[in-house]
Parts: sequence; structure tokens; C-alpha cells
Amino acid sequence: MAERSKLMKDFWRGGELFVWLTASGVALSLLMVAGMMTLIMVNGLGQFWPGTLQQVTLRSQEQVIGRLVGEEVIPEAGISGTGASPLRYRYRVGNRDQFGSEYRWINEADIQSIAAPKDLASVERREWGPAYGRISVGTQDGTTASPSEGTWSTVVTLVKRANQLRRRIEHLERDEIGAINHRIEQARLARQALALKSQQGPGEAEEDRRLVDRITVLERDYAATTEALERLRAEAGQEVLLLTLSNGKSVPLSLDRVLAVSRPNAMTLLEKSWAYVHNLWQFVSGEPREANTEGGIFPAIFGTVLMVFLMTLAVMPFGVMAAVYLREYAKQGPLVRLVRIAVNNLAGVPSIVFGVFGLAFFVYALGGTIDQWLFPEALPNPTFGTGGILWASLTLALLTVPVVIVATEEGLSAVPPDFREGSVGLGATKFETIRHVILPCALPGILTGLILAMARAAGEVAPLMLTGVVKLAPALPLDEYFPYLHLDRKFMHLGFHIYDVGFQSPNVEAAKPMVYMTTLILILVVVLLNLAAVMLRNRLRRRFATSAV
Amino acid sequence: MPQEPTTVQRALCVALFAVLYAVIILPPACAGQSDGKEAALRPYHKVSGVSGTINSIGSDTLNNLITLWAEGFRKQYPNVKIQVEGKGSSTAPPALIENTAQLGPMSRTMKSSEIDAFETKFGYPPTAYPVAIDALALFVNKDNPIAGLTVPHVDALFSKSRRHGHSTDVTRWGQLGHSGDWANAPISLYGRNSASGTYGFFKEHALKNGDFKDQVKEQPGSASVVQGISEDRYGIGYSGIGYTTSGVRMVPLAGKSGQPFVEPTEANTKNGTYPLWRYLYIYVNQAPGKPLSPIVKEFLTYVYSKEGQSDVLRDGYFPVDGALAEQYLAKIR
Repeated sequence: MAERSKLMKDFWRGGELFVWLTASGVALSLLMVAGMMTLIMVNGLGQFWPGTLQQVTLRSQEQVIGRLVGEEVIPEAGISGTGASPLRYRYRVGNRDQFGSEYRWINEADIQSIAAPKDLASVERREWGPAYGRISVGTQDGTTASPSEGTWSTVVTLVKRANQLRRRIEHLERDEIGAINHRIEQARLARQALALKSQQGPGEAEEDRRLVDRITVLERDYAATTEALERLRAEAGQEVLLLTLSNGKSVPLSLDRVLAVSRPNAMTLLEKSWAYVHNLWQFVSGEPREANTEGGIFPAIFGTVLMVFLMTLAVMPFGVMAAVYLREYAKQGPLVRLVRIAVNNLAGVPSIVFGVFGLAFFVYALGGTIDQWLFPEALPNPTFGTGGILWASLTLALLTVPVVIVATEEGLSAVPPDFREGSVGLGATKFETIRHVILPCALPGILTGLILAMARAAGEVAPLMLTGVVKLAPALPLDEYFPYLHLDRKFMHLGFHIYDVGFQSPNVEAAKPMVYMTTLILILVVVLLNLAAVMLRNRLRRRFATSAV
Repeated sequence: MPQEPTTVQRALCVALFAVLYAVIILPPACAGQSDGKEAALRPYHKVSGVSGTINSIGSDTLNNLITLWAEGFRKQYPNVKIQVEGKGSSTAPPALIENTAQLGPMSRTMKSSEIDAFETKFGYPPTAYPVAIDALALFVNKDNPIAGLTVPHVDALFSKSRRHGHSTDVTRWGQLGHSGDWANAPISLYGRNSASGTYGFFKEHALKNGDFKDQVKEQPGSASVVQGISEDRYGIGYSGIGYTTSGVRMVPLAGKSGQPFVEPTEANTKNGTYPLWRYLYIYVNQAPGKPLSPIVKEFLTYVYSKEGQSDVLRDGYFPVDGALAEQYLAKIR
């Protein structure tokens, strides 16, 4: 008995229990992270796999072609007590324009047979989502399409050619017409600016005439280019594919609407893997289609990363300067303590409050004033007087400045006092000491602040919704036209994309995997940004270790 | 004075509909077969000299539709920039007043307070363009056997005021005639958040401005209402018909008890037998006697074109008919 109580005593004193307790904390958080990642990946990554297309024959002799995407036990039938509970399956049948809905539930009891014929094709379209059926080549004469000779390889060649054509059309649209329109817009704004000038002399009149001539020339160019575009479009519409649906109906598919065709049932595992990688790449690098529920998310990735960088540029000098003053220059006393408390409290203010502040101060007050002073020619269309990437970044900079101040202060206080005293003792001024001794030593701490700030900023959505994030931004904030970085443009953001596609898209069943994938990409972006900062910090630490001591 | 279509306009719609009613209409499926019906809508013709940026801030119900229009419009004018923001109908009036947007899509008409605020700033009221028709559907889980509901029933389900005069509160499916495991199952209610125009419309028309019950689970988007109901066997909620999925079923409605239940189809919406329908609007700042800026003018022209109204179908809403389109096209010019 005595031995046992001694054992217990040792156990308590040794702190074994505490080790277990703390370790279980770590285990639990790891488990939660792993669980969440698994959930996201299972739900998201599967959608790019070219799964088997099934042809289901129902007892009513109706044919259904689709992809099996889920199953469940029919609840009522189980309750009535027939023993084995019957199942029902959810099929993605596509062809939303024909059937009205992209998904369909089929009761197991209604199914007569299931087959997977090799000639079933899956078509990715620009509009109306995917289509499943059998494909043949047709010719378009007038409005009717008649089937003609054509094998699968001709279909593939046709689609390939149509895609090349589309790339040319896109090049024409984006680059050439884009450049012309940009110049027209510039000239138009220059004219408006001229008209706003207070005194109108002969010089102004001549300048105006020159601009009008310029616009006329550019508009002629524009007309010529659009004509070329129309010709290309006409070329694209020459041939059509014929899609035979599960109900036997044949519908023409014009080639300029077709993005890709495949026969998943005839593909080997290697081909499927290649298709998977291809689809994944399309998702990461592509533009969104169909009101964001299809296509890629590149603009959102780009917007997120650029916004975080701009925020970093704004928050770092600001936060570090504030911390240096608080720690090095300010007389430590009740006032400084009060400031510190205020800064810490700022970190706890809900982000939406920052958003409202950003909207009122940056967008309406600051942006409105900038518009009146610098861009009067564009009014009433706002330039900076509406949400944009600059205002969103600055709002997030405000949001994250406490994190940077606190981390920098920690870094500064960790610099041994000997360094300061040594430096001052050797005749350096206070500024030189801070500049050459203290700040380099505190750099790892400062970078920790940066890492925390970036992680916080990348995941924040609420304030952005008020200050410049949009569902669809037509152009990236960075392009080849002067001044290259367009701070006034609105932008897309991964976090907002998740919210928007998940809660607002009408075809929410089809959009669900997109939401999971976007989440995965957002997490990856945050991890990559953090890794970059951590690597930078480690390099600086090494440099500091060799040079400063 | 809200720009709600008058009874004359509605009557006109019905009359025109009767003339044009030649096709069986399954909501989204009629894109391919709608030539007869859309004959009155004109195809869009490109004009020159359109460039610049359009900002649109407003309804989230219209968010997707505006995006689809933007995609289509940009096919005509490749370098026009359209930025679409949709946080709820209530965000449109301030954006128009502050001039941060040229288009203010709204899924309800402006309240008189909003119009007053606009008039104070500009001296004239904003102009409303009805651009699509939305039927508000009551969604239930796909397993729900319900045959139909009357508007007083809907009121009794969602409201604690019961202004339509239903005698008792409805809280269990058994009260609506369900048997089996349904009889005692509590009804779980889904709705929208109060910034949404859908919320406002439903409150006004289905509840006669009565109060919602506290049990209504307010969702941030129409899609999440539908998602919630497809997971919740005993759920019911309201959303635009465009949001339907395979996991839910739309409940046929009747205006009063004794009337037949009608499905929320395009036909029933346009002849007025389906009780819960509304126009979706785009509000613009149009000074009287002055033309709209070319880019906004062309965008609205595109919206009322054949192409624009086929985008409406693609998003699951119903297109406006040709006569209405002509009337508002005249207003644009």
C-alpha cells in the first residue's frame, strides 16, 4: 500500500502526466489539421478524374448516360421495414440545357442494367456545363445538321483545330483589340481633360483636333480588327459535332462552344492520369467561366498574392518604425504603456470594423478626393473613389499592423543590451546603433511579424468585400500598359471566391467540388507565402550569426 | 413612387403571353426551342465607340446573371471592363448615390427612403429597368411527399404574425397532412439574411410584412438555403427558382385555399397564376432629358436583346417578353 502511494507520488512529482497532457494537445491539433485536409482533398481532388461514364437502362426502358457521383439509403423505405434497405444513386447526367438539371437520382430498384460502352463521350463546353452522349461529325447547312462520315479521330482533330482557332481569337481580342481600346480610352480622357481646362486657346483647339484625328484612326484600326475577328469566328462555325443524347435525340454542338472531348471509358490508366494533370493545370491557370462555377481560378490566385504583397509593402515600414520608436526612443512610462495596450487591443477588433473604416475613409473620403483632384476627366466614373486593390491592401495593412508592432518589439527587446552599450561606447550615435546593430539583430523577429501578418491577411475576406473584391474582375491589376500596376482596379480573391461559389452560385451541386479545390489552393498559397518568408528569415539568421558577432 | 410594373403592364404581359404561348415551357430547357417565343426580342447588333469600365454593385440574386451578361457583352466588346460586386440589394442605392457604380442590380424595388436619398443628391429619382423575371419557390427535400401549399399555409409556416389569416401555427409536418415518420417531425425553416432582396420580397408578399419566426435559419446566400434543405429531410425554405438542384423539390403553390396548386413554371409565372413572382431590376442614374453614357446604354440594350435574355434562361430565371423589352429599350434611347 505504502509502495503504491509512493509510486503515485513519484508519478505526480515526475510530471509524466503533464507530458502526456501536453502531447495529447499537439496530437489533437495535428489530427484536426489532417482531418480537415483529408476532407478538402477527398471532396476536391476527385473532380478532375475522368471517371467512367455509365449507360443505365431503367425498367421503363429509359436510357440514362452519366457519371455515378453518390449513393444513399432511401430513408422511408427502410422505416417501413422490408429488411434490406434499398439504395438510390445520384448521377451527373450533364446536358443542363436539354434536361433542365445536371444531376438526377435513380432508385436502385428501377435499374435494369448498367453498361459502360467505350463510345460514350464526355464534352466540356463553354456554356451549360458538361454534356454526355455519343458524338459524330455533322455539317452545318443553314440551321440543320446532318450526320456524315466521321470517326473519333476526326472529332478529336476538329476539336483541336477549333481550340487553336479560339486561341487566335483570344489573342486578337485580348492583345490587339485590347491595345487599340486602351489607346482610344487614353485619347478620350485626354480630350476630356482638355475640355476641363479653364482657358481655351488656339493651342487647346489644335490639340483637341489632333486627338479627334487620332481617335478616328484608332477606331478604323478597331473596325479592321473586329472584322478579322468576325472572319475567324465564321471559320470556327463551319463544322459541327452531333451529340446523340441518352434519349436518342440528336443535338448539334457548334465547335466554338466545345472546349474538350474525351472518351473516358476507352482511356487507359496512363491516359486518365495525364488527363487528370491536364485538368488540374487548367483549373489553376485558367480563367473562370459560367459566372465562376466552371473554368479556372487564376485571377483569384493572382489577386490574392498581389494583395498580400502590397499589404506587406505598406505594413512593414509602418509597423517597424512604430515599434522602434516605442522600444528605443519613447520614454517608458504610463503613456507608452497606454499606447501598447491600445495596439494590442487593435489586434482584437473584428475585421469587418476595419472593412467599414476602409470603405468610409479610404474609398469614399480619400478616394473621392483623389478623383476630384487627379482624375476629374473620368468623372462621374470613379477611378480611386470605388473599391480597389490599393484600398483593400491598405485596409488589411491596418488590420495587421498590431501583429507587426508586437513581433518587432519582441525582436528588439531580445537584442542583448551589451550590443547597444558596445556600439554607443565605440562612439556610434543612437541612430547609427539602431540602423547598424539593433535592426539587423532584430530582423528575424521582424520577419516573424511579417509571416504572421501575411497568414492573417491571406485568409481575411470580410473587410475585402467592402473595399474592392469582386466576383468577376475583367482584367488583372498587373498588365503591359502603363503604369503596369493598376492600383485602382478591383480584383478577385480566393477567400471571396469560396464564399461566392459556395453560397451564391445557382448550380451549387456542380460548384461544390470547386469550392473544396479553391480552399485547397488558398491553403497552399498561404503555406507557400509563409515558406518563402521562413526561408528568408533563416538566411538572414545565418548571415547575422556570421557577421554581427 | 417605386417603379413597379403597373397592372396595365401586367395585363399587357398576360395578353402578349396568350398570343405568343405556343411552346411548352420547361424552364431552362427551352433555350433550344424558344424561337417562336423570343421572336419579339431583337438580336443584338454591335455599335462602335463603346469602351470603358462598368461597375455593378448590388443584389446577390442577380450577381450570376450580371456576370453572365458581362461575359456575353465582352464577347461583343472585348475590351470593355465590367466589375461585378454583389453583396445584397441594399448595397445598390448607396453605391448609386456615391457614384461608385453605374449599375445597381436589385431583386426588389427601391424603398421610398432610398429613392429620397437619391433624389436629395441628384434632384431626380433613379430609373429602374426590369430585366428578368424570378419566381420565388418554396423548396422542400426531394423525399417530401407534399402536394402543394397555399399562401396562408406558407405564411403560417414562416411567420409569427400570420397576416394571411391562417388560424393555427404550423410547426409539424403532420399538420400539413403528412403521415409516417413525417407526422411528428418538426418543420425546419430556412430563409435569407435581411440584406437580401429575396428576404424583403418574401416578407412583403408571403407574410404581408408580418414578422418572421425566430426559428428561421438565415442563410448568407440562396444556394446555401437549397444546400441546407437537401441535407435536411424536414426542411423547407424559399429561394429563387434558379437555384434548384436534384436534392430538393419545388412546392406547387396556390394563392388561396380552394384554388389549384400551380408549379412555378414560366407559363404559370407569366399568366400570373403562380403567386410568388417578381421582376429583377437594374437601377441606373439617368438624368431626365440626358442620354445614358454609351457603355451603360449598350449594356442595357444587350440585356434586352435575344442573347441577353437567353442568358437569363441559362441562369434559371425567366426572360421578359418582347413588348416590355421594346418599351424599356425606348426608354434607354
